[in-house]
Amino acid sequence: MIAAIRWGAPAAVVAACVGYLIFTASGGSSEYYLTVSELRANPPAGDVRVAGVVQGDVQKTDGGLHVTFTEKDATAAMPVEYSGALPDIFQPGITVVAEGRLGSDGVFHARTLLAKCPSRFSTQPYTQ
Amino acid sequence: MILGYLGAGSLLAGLVLAGFSTLLSFWAGVRQSAVFVQVGRRAFYAAAAMVALAAVLLETALLTHDFSLAYVTEHSDLSTPIALVAAGFYGGQEGSLLYWALILGLLGSASLLASSRLGERLAAYAAGILAAIMSFFLFVLAVVASPFDLLPVTPPDGLGLNPILRDGGMLIHPPVVLAGFASFAIPFAFASAALLAGRADTAWIRHTRRFALLAWGLQTSGLLLGMWWAYHVLGWGGYWGWDPVENVALMPWLATTAYLHSSQVQEQRGRMRAWNFGLVIVAFLLVIFGTFIVRSGVVPSVHTFAISAIGPWFLGLLGICILFSAALLAFRADRLGATSHAAAPPVSREGAFVLQNLLLLGVVAVVLWGTVLPLVSGMFGSQRVVGAPYYERAAGPLLVALLALMAAGPLLPWRRAGRPALRALRWPAGAALVALLALAASGVRSVPALVAFPLAAAAGATVITEYGRAALRKPAVIWRRRRRYGAYLAHLGLVVAAVGIAASQLGQQEKDVTLQPGQSVTIAGYTLTYSGSQNQDLGDHTEFVASMKFGDQTLEPGRATYALLGGQGLSHVAISTTAWADVYVVLVSSSPDGSASFRVLVNPLVTWIWAGGIVILLGVVLGNAGQASPAAELARRPVPITLPA
Repeated sequence: MIAAIRWGAPAAVVAACVGYLIFTASGGSSEYYLTVSELRANPPAGDVRVAGVVQGDVQKTDGGLHVTFTEKDATAAMPVEYSGALPDIFQPGITVVAEGRLGSDGVFHARTLLAKCPSRFSTQPYTQ
Repeated sequence: MILGYLGAGSLLAGLVLAGFSTLLSFWAGVRQSAVFVQVGRRAFYAAAAMVALAAVLLETALLTHDFSLAYVTEHSDLSTPIALVAAGFYGGQEGSLLYWALILGLLGSASLLASSRLGERLAAYAAGILAAIMSFFLFVLAVVASPFDLLPVTPPDGLGLNPILRDGGMLIHPPVVLAGFASFAIPFAFASAALLAGRADTAWIRHTRRFALLAWGLQTSGLLLGMWWAYHVLGWGGYWGWDPVENVALMPWLATTAYLHSSQVQEQRGRMRAWNFGLVIVAFLLVIFGTFIVRSGVVPSVHTFAISAIGPWFLGLLGICILFSAALLAFRADRLGATSHAAAPPVSREGAFVLQNLLLLGVVAVVLWGTVLPLVSGMFGSQRVVGAPYYERAAGPLLVALLALMAAGPLLPWRRAGRPALRALRWPAGAALVALLALAASGVRSVPALVAFPLAAAAGATVITEYGRAALRKPAVIWRRRRRYGAYLAHLGLVVAAVGIAASQLGQQEKDVTLQPGQSVTIAGYTLTYSGSQNQDLGDHTEFVASMKFGDQTLEPGRATYALLGGQGLSHVAISTTAWADVYVVLVSSSPDGSASFRVLVNPLVTWIWAGGIVILLGVVLGNAGQASPAAELARRPVPITLPA
């Protein structure tokens, strides 16, 4: 009994700490993962990640460090604006995940832009 | 064509043999029949031989460009360099499963060779469980995802490999990761067999110690190689992105690390028996869970995978393993109490190991929650995801606590820490204080840095103290007790890697710039001057190479464009390693007027991560070098039969 308390109490303390850390960290930094139409239908406050397909209207300025394009899914589209280095495989037709927020101007201001790997290495599970 | 038929046939033969071995071995365990045990074991060897034959056939098909096989067509072409064609064996879904079965067959056979010394029942059940896992893989390979499927029409050439994968990293990273995953089936099989046989003594731990260490070494190398590859090839300036694919490789590593430590408590003190069974089971379940997550596409990832038919099968395997393990633990719960009832105080080596285990599992919980959050939240509404800040905030404090434990734990004695042990802590404490003062004096004000670096210094000082003590008193002890000193060496490597990780995470600086030839950029005191660029035509792609003067070096970041692949680009990063930091240059784009845009990063101490990794592996090798095999040890030492079987 005493041994159980001796070992159980620290275990409970560690478990409580882990629970607290998970709760506070995920509360502060979790984001919605949406499609373009979900974002259009019900835009949440704060940052979100939006998946969609890059359309053919990609425009690069500032030596390629600033880019605007339209991201679209089956039913909705939105203009996206992003500054920074683009993923290698970025081109019209690929699926990207833009992380950022929808501005009042209707443009999605992306902080980061992730490209989904193209189908050619869909069977390559161990690549970045 | 003929290779396809032969391959499919050998897989089917392997499946029959593995199924036969499963049934016979379990029956042998129940009946305690020495003859059946041996036949069951030999059937497993035969199944492993069939898998090896299938592997040779698939490799032959790849190397001879036999495009009648769908797998060969999809993963190679005539222009791919031959080494990468060979790597296509484990590059695709079906082939990677065959590779997994191959490793399971080889290591499983090795672990069964000397297993009869463990007693008939344990040996029989271990063979049965290994054969059952093998049967699962062979069933999936033969029926659901066969690498030997034939195309109706043989194409003249294959589809080839994406340029991103045409890299040396492709040759070594995937096989090491997969082998690390596959090899943990061995400790799992023997742990479950020991439970089934009602043998709660340490025989199974001793027998599989090397396999657990091998699995850990492979998992460690796999993680580090993946980081190295991401850093040097993918050109985003980092090495770890907390993507689900990375997370599912990290979790089994954490659980295996915990097991390597807690198994010592059982070996030395006869405690934590139920815990060890549980940990081995959890580590194996995390491997299966990870494979399911990665291959089924249920969570959003930057990586898109073949969402193939094998996802549900792995989910089924996961469910069966969970039910089987839980039932087994409940069934044997009465036999799992500690052998010694002397209460151990929390401040002792045992206490440190327990706390370390709890913290490591805490990190597993953090990573697991972050990985499955999209799934869980998706059931109750919109999917939510977490990024790097979540993992850093939640796992960071736990990792820092682990560093502190690494400084104190090895200096605490078993059972009770008295005054002499606490006195030994003065070296790490002193090192931490010196590091703290040095950092403060040099103007560092970031709290995470002021916590992490001094604790790393303390953990390093602990290892050096231990080696120093041994060297002063009796240097021969380092070789004689190399299992222990190998572990300390691995600790030292981990500390070095931790310093590299902390420094590069906390001190990374980056700048995006557009430069005309002759212009320069300064970042963190490093100045780079853009001197010009040129376009090279290299057959299937063109490469635009920029030259940047950096001191007396010239860095040449480039960007290849593959016209045949819809103009897909591929960055070639230029990295210059200086004493304190990597200067990392990515060419983003170029304009016709001669200007070019770059992303320049300064990553402090990244080389320490790779150096630390090498030290860790040296520690693993030292811990294993030339020691009597666990089986021989077991033969010398009579197995304590504490329980009626």
